[in-house]
Amino acid sequence: MSKETIKISGMTCAACAQRVQKAVAKIEGVENATVNFATEKLSVEFNEQQASIPAIRDAVEKAGYGVIEDNKLNNVTMPIGGMTCAACAQRVEKAIDKLPGVAKVSVNLATEKATVEYDPQQIKLSAIKQSIEKVGYKALEIDKNTVDEDRIRKEKEIKTLWTKFIISTIFGLPLLYFAMAPMVSWWPFPIPMAVSPMSYPFRYALLQVSLVTPIIIAGYKFYTVGFKALLQRSPNMDSLVAIGTTAAILFSIYNTFEIFNGNFMAVESLYYETAGVIIALILLGKSLEAVSKGKTSEAIKKLMGLAPKTATVIENGKEIEVPIDEVEIDNIILVKPGEKIPVDGVVLEGNTSIDEAMLTGESMPVDKKAGDKVYAASINKNGMIKFKATKVGSDTALAQIIKLVEDAQGSKAPIAQMADIVSGYFVPIVCTLAIIAFLAWFLTGQSLAFSLTIFISVIVIACPCALGLATPTAIMVGTGKGAENGILIKGGEALETTHKINTIVFDKTGTITEGKPEVTDIITISGILQEYLLQIAASGEKGSEHPLGEAIVRGAEKEHLEFKKVEHFEAIPGHGIEVVIDEKIVLIGNKKLMDNRGIPLEELKNKSDQLAGEGKTPMYIAIDNKLAGIIAVADIVKESSAKAIAKLRSMGIEVAMITGDNRKTAEAIAKQVGINRVLSEVLPQDKSNEVKKLQAEGKKVCMVGDGINDAPALVQADIGIAIGSGTDIAMESADIVLMKSDLMDVPTAIKLSKSTIRNIKQNLFWAFGYNVAGIPIAAGILYLFGGPLLNPIFAAAAMAFSSVSVVTNALRLKRFKAYH
Amino acid sequence: MKKKLLLTAFSFLVLLGFTACNKLDVIGDKSIISFDAVIKASGNQVTEDSGFGGWSLEAPDKTARLVWSKDYSKTSSLDVFIETDVQPFIDAGLDTSKLPEGMLLGDKIVVGTDMGNDTLTYDGDATPLASYKQIVNLYRGNLKYHATLDHFGIDMTNGNMFEWAKNMATNDKDMVFVLNPQVFIDAGVDPNKVNGWVFAKVETMDAKGKKIQVDKLLKPFDLDGKN
Repeated sequence: MSKETIKISGMTCAACAQRVQKAVAKIEGVENATVNFATEKLSVEFNEQQASIPAIRDAVEKAGYGVIEDNKLNNVTMPIGGMTCAACAQRVEKAIDKLPGVAKVSVNLATEKATVEYDPQQIKLSAIKQSIEKVGYKALEIDKNTVDEDRIRKEKEIKTLWTKFIISTIFGLPLLYFAMAPMVSWWPFPIPMAVSPMSYPFRYALLQVSLVTPIIIAGYKFYTVGFKALLQRSPNMDSLVAIGTTAAILFSIYNTFEIFNGNFMAVESLYYETAGVIIALILLGKSLEAVSKGKTSEAIKKLMGLAPKTATVIENGKEIEVPIDEVEIDNIILVKPGEKIPVDGVVLEGNTSIDEAMLTGESMPVDKKAGDKVYAASINKNGMIKFKATKVGSDTALAQIIKLVEDAQGSKAPIAQMADIVSGYFVPIVCTLAIIAFLAWFLTGQSLAFSLTIFISVIVIACPCALGLATPTAIMVGTGKGAENGILIKGGEALETTHKINTIVFDKTGTITEGKPEVTDIITISGILQEYLLQIAASGEKGSEHPLGEAIVRGAEKEHLEFKKVEHFEAIPGHGIEVVIDEKIVLIGNKKLMDNRGIPLEELKNKSDQLAGEGKTPMYIAIDNKLAGIIAVADIVKESSAKAIAKLRSMGIEVAMITGDNRKTAEAIAKQVGINRVLSEVLPQDKSNEVKKLQAEGKKVCMVGDGINDAPALVQADIGIAIGSGTDIAMESADIVLMKSDLMDVPTAIKLSKSTIRNIKQNLFWAFGYNVAGIPIAAGILYLFGGPLLNPIFAAAAMAFSSVSVVTNALRLKRFKAYH
Repeated sequence: MKKKLLLTAFSFLVLLGFTACNKLDVIGDKSIISFDAVIKASGNQVTEDSGFGGWSLEAPDKTARLVWSKDYSKTSSLDVFIETDVQPFIDAGLDTSKLPEGMLLGDKIVVGTDMGNDTLTYDGDATPLASYKQIVNLYRGNLKYHATLDHFGIDMTNGNMFEWAKNMATNDKDMVFVLNPQVFIDAGVDPNKVNGWVFAKVETMDAKGKKIQVDKLLKPFDLDGKN
């Protein structure tokens, strides 16, 4: 099964998105196809044996839309030294052209520059430079200009729309003036005698034709796309605009001929200005919409802009500045104070502090020394470091975050499906309603002009474009805002479900607590030395990844104890470990482990209870099936835990804590942070069952965790939140990833979800409101009861501004403030 | 985009050119055709007024006539005017001394307009229609279209007009002498009592094209008797 995201062009409304989705879904082998109108992306899952990208592209194109090819080529303008004549330029050109992976090369002698388009997957820039040097010229420092196709395309689209709008306004305003001035009695709007409608009606009509023609040309796409869709029996927003304005224009042309034939009063039945102004207003709406839509994805653009363009690689002891695309794994990279870390890696030399706010939102710089990980786009504050690249290109944490946010922005929330279904049927229903309204008025004695006005108004006001934008724009801003605050929401569905959460279950270790417990007490019996017990336990836990085990290892290291050789190691999930050291069987774990092995604990019961009551975790150690002692480990509760839990409770959310720890320890920690409900001594495999039980009580459960053992519960919960300090598996299993370890991000995520869903509902209300209220008014219901008739121009204005208001409302989410 | 802009500019200029062209004056053109029809229907009631230096179109009941000049340079104060009997107005209470100067000429009331002092030249002989065409060509502003009655009209200013049907076949008022009653009311006339004239409210359009109702004294005639 393959999953691809394809950019689609030519979609103008939600009906278009539906059409593309349907066309692709019909292809054999396509399992799932989703089109997001706001991002103009098609996400498709398909079986490669049955379906293919070209087949999908064909289907999209057949449906009347375009596929935007992802240009993976880089564009470089490279200054060249040593060229003296045209032959030199040709020589350089030939040398570069024959390199594999070079798509296009052009050498300009006058500017002494070579412009090369190349595939960075196939050829490195250094190889191009070498080829130039080989033929005797000098490749100078490069001005690298990686073409951001999408940005350029969007900017071009906005520019074109504005140009069209300006043209339509330049001609539309005088058109409106000439059409309306004779009707305004309260102000003397002059009209030149030469084009006066009463004295020269035919000139007046032709003047309007000449003014409306450029507007029609500016809006030609409404006709080409709209009628094409209509012919394919899947009308869209353009179809409505095309039908409405064409009706107005054809009727006006007919009346122009009437004037020519001597029916001068036909001058009163010209509707050129209606068509012209409708197109101008819709172009204005589209322009504003395009600008606003661009703003909704600002968060992702910000993330993309974080990565530096070059890196200083150390090769053979020399510092070489290379484009970021050319950095390879295992390259040694030098980063000076103030510079950005170019790729992910591990520090080899030097000490520094690094600002990782772009990844975690955490403003405090993090100290780094040899062996610590560094991440692309974070800022090296004060020391010079050398590090080894471990992840480059699309594998860096930043690239992963960008992908995650992009995927989320491209996904659909369940609430969007309703809007999609409605808008899919909307256009044909509106066409039918418009015809019914036209016939009803015409057959009951109204003039053709009156009935046509009704028809045009209904057609124009009912465009469902606002409906199609209502959900995706809010999701784009919401997920973007989340990313800005270090909250990565993986999709529209997660964003939507989060606002329904009424119960949150927190994992204890590493989530509520720092996850770096330390040894606090060592209690021995039978004359065993404390040092020996710690040595044995630490040796056994050496290979363990459990935070409690790691605490014992650190404790031993602190005491400079030597680790003994472990002959056998077995992890018993949720219980502890069994190891063989010095030919002795050593059990290290909780009460359950000891109970299972039948080892009596009475001797240390009181001490154990006392430790647990202090919030410490007692770990029993048995040697050759005899209790040897307890090592108590305590973890520090995170600063923000109590505050976050209080905030959640104030939001009316029930908070529970789940842990494998013994009840007393768990309760002690829970008490510290204000949690009443404690699920203790829960085995890792049972965590998801506990979540299930809560769900069975009818609760919408959110699980917050960080460890591998939390992954099943994160999946089982309605919403899984992984905290960023945790493991990759937990992050993959979660619906929301918190880049910081700050639990205040949990209420922030819920608040963000609530704000986004409220915004979506407002958008849907307005989008539906425009249509539901607009159609009967346009159909003349007010006129029926003595009220005014809706002018098609006002219908067009309402329609254009419905989209703008919906996108503007979505942009209000940018003012969202996180809890601190 | 450049091509489209050029195309736009080109089409705009072409159409503007067309707009400026006199050929596109459909009201002027159609008025000539219908005025010709009125002249033809009036037969020998259209005569040359050599004393004035123009043409006379007399009403079938001979109580009023339209007179228009052959050459404005040769006619004095009025180039186009309506002449009608004063007696019905006197009978309705007119105090002739209260009429503006020059409006009463003997037993006739004269209302009209001075088009200008242009020397009119003709391709062929001067005819009643050719002289009318001069009005259309040179003083197009004085030609009006009265939508409510589907009439063309020569505006003689001050609310006085001579109107004729665009299509006599479909109109029962093929020729109408129109006077502004106010000047007569001010001179003591009861407009409802002027014999041979109809005092009525007429829907017309003001200078801005806005529909308005105005009082008029009308003397309509059905020339072809078809309505």
